[in-house]
Amino acid sequence: MANKTILCIEDDRFIGEMYVRSLKKAGYEVDWMVDGNDGLVAARNKQYDFILLDIMLPERKGTEILASLRGGKQNLIPKSRVIVLTNFEQDEDSRAVMEHNADAYLIKAEITPKKLISVIQQLGG
Amino acid sequence: MELKKQPKLASDFWPSFIKNARLDLILGQILVFTIIILILIITNIATIDSINLWLILTTAFIANIAILLMFTNKITKPTKKLLAAIIQINGETPILPVSSPNSEDDDKTGFQDALQTIYKLSSNQNPDKKATSKNITSNNLISQALDSTVCGFVAMDDKRQIIYANKSAPISINTDNKEYLSLIFNENDGIDEWLDKCSNNSVHNEKIWTRVPDKLPNNEGRRFFDCIANYQRGAIPEVVLSLIDRTSTYSIDEENLDFMSFAAHELRGPITVIRGYLDVLNDELVDVLKDDQSELFSRLIVSANRLSGYINNILNTSKYDRRHLKIQLREDNVARVYDTISDDMRLRAKAQRRLLTVSIPENLPTIAVDSTSMGEVFSNLIDNAVKYSNEGGAINITARANDSFVEVEFKDHGIGMSENIISNLFQKFYRSHRSRETVAGTGIGLYICKAIVESHGGTISIQSEEGKGSTFTVSIPIYATIAEKLKASNNSNVGIISEGRGWIKNHSMYRG
Repeated sequence: MANKTILCIEDDRFIGEMYVRSLKKAGYEVDWMVDGNDGLVAARNKQYDFILLDIMLPERKGTEILASLRGGKQNLIPKSRVIVLTNFEQDEDSRAVMEHNADAYLIKAEITPKKLISVIQQLGG
Repeated sequence: MELKKQPKLASDFWPSFIKNARLDLILGQILVFTIIILILIITNIATIDSINLWLILTTAFIANIAILLMFTNKITKPTKKLLAAIIQINGETPILPVSSPNSEDDDKTGFQDALQTIYKLSSNQNPDKKATSKNITSNNLISQALDSTVCGFVAMDDKRQIIYANKSAPISINTDNKEYLSLIFNENDGIDEWLDKCSNNSVHNEKIWTRVPDKLPNNEGRRFFDCIANYQRGAIPEVVLSLIDRTSTYSIDEENLDFMSFAAHELRGPITVIRGYLDVLNDELVDVLKDDQSELFSRLIVSANRLSGYINNILNTSKYDRRHLKIQLREDNVARVYDTISDDMRLRAKAQRRLLTVSIPENLPTIAVDSTSMGEVFSNLIDNAVKYSNEGGAINITARANDSFVEVEFKDHGIGMSENIISNLFQKFYRSHRSRETVAGTGIGLYICKAIVESHGGTISIQSEEGKGSTFTVSIPIYATIAEKLKASNNSNVGIISEGRGWIKNHSMYRG
């Protein structure tokens, strides 16, 4: 079976490299984008198994990317699981929107790469 | 000094009005009869010395006056009743008999509707004047004085209905047209919860809440109050709330809290990297590091985790103080809550050379708990036990059921503390003089522990003796006591699994 594919959209170089390194080591195929526009294009062009999505991104925010991919009538990424990774906690309203469009919402400071891999596995990876 | 003129009251109107009306009537009659007498004499119909003339005129005069007075009474009767109603509504000393708005006579004439309209209008427009008393005039002055202050005053009866509220009190009206207090208290620490306790256990009680807002953040005209509540069972009113407007002080604090929250979020970035790389390197270097290097490495992990805990304390405090701290209660048990932090705690105790023993029985009743927040409470209490004990000292964690609570005990054999320190221990930023000099800390750990535990409907207590150590006991309500309430509020979260402060959708549940 082919390796599972992951798109990581993360602008912090240290954090991005950390996830990419750990995920590749765990056997995943990983593409990494550092800005929101490139991230959205990549997600549209290829059906990834998982998308790791930061919220505070240059050019286009994570919430906008998610709305473009899943917020309309058509789900453009039916095969992907979206894991939002951020250090901002949600208020009740945005939580409801995110629960509708994302598959997980994790606080980066609480999630080590090992834990992230276990969440990916929990979601079918 | 010149006395200020008192405002005219509605009750002052009637006596002077009726007196003047009667006087005018008599003078008018005298004038009419004088003219008649003059005409009769000038036209020679009668002479001035005619006894008959005077007899007839006097009788007619008296009869006329009597009839006119009777008619005056009849004509002014509705005015009199309306005035009596207004005097009663105004709370002035009654000078006129008040007629019932439901009397049959008035019903026939249709006047009843007019009277009822007055009473209706008054209850809609002056809900704060429901209380009546004989000494109404002075009450009115007090009421006017209270309305001119910036502090709020609210009185409630034994059914918790608002019977008085001055103008500054934060009061709103719900869809049932009932007044309610629009203050945002912390979860499980509001006025209702306190009154529930009072009505079960107290005859007299007092409580103070600080920085209670009337609206959520970013709403225009948001005010902050310090709220002082007095409860006296059986008294009228049973509850009196004094609300001191502290908006000017607390809104500056609010900016500081915004800064704290923003700074803490910023700190999470580097912490993510430090903890992440330590996690990565820990696996990769496990076979490479020598014993003493492994020890240094575990100290790095422990320190990074502690730093992460302190950042969470700051964020929790800022959220709690702004009434944003949300506790998601679910059914769980103490052992599983401890499991979420056990690896970290074991590593911490080992790195700092403390003997940590944990004895949590498996068969304890389940509790209603937000396991992430309660894990932070446990972590803070163990962190304190480590800080205030000596190298090699034992820290024992035990748990037991006690009535409708599960009690978790954190016992250290460290330096302990005196009575006067204990009484201030849970205050924000409190650090005892001794610990300022010897132990690093922010003084918010126990403050947020108490806040989180009380948000669960639980309590936190301490026993300590100087030189012998301290025992903190956290009591958490068992799930069965609030199961019904939780089931009603948690339905929307089916299929979501908590992961720290985040969540994961439970896809296996959807498929099933």
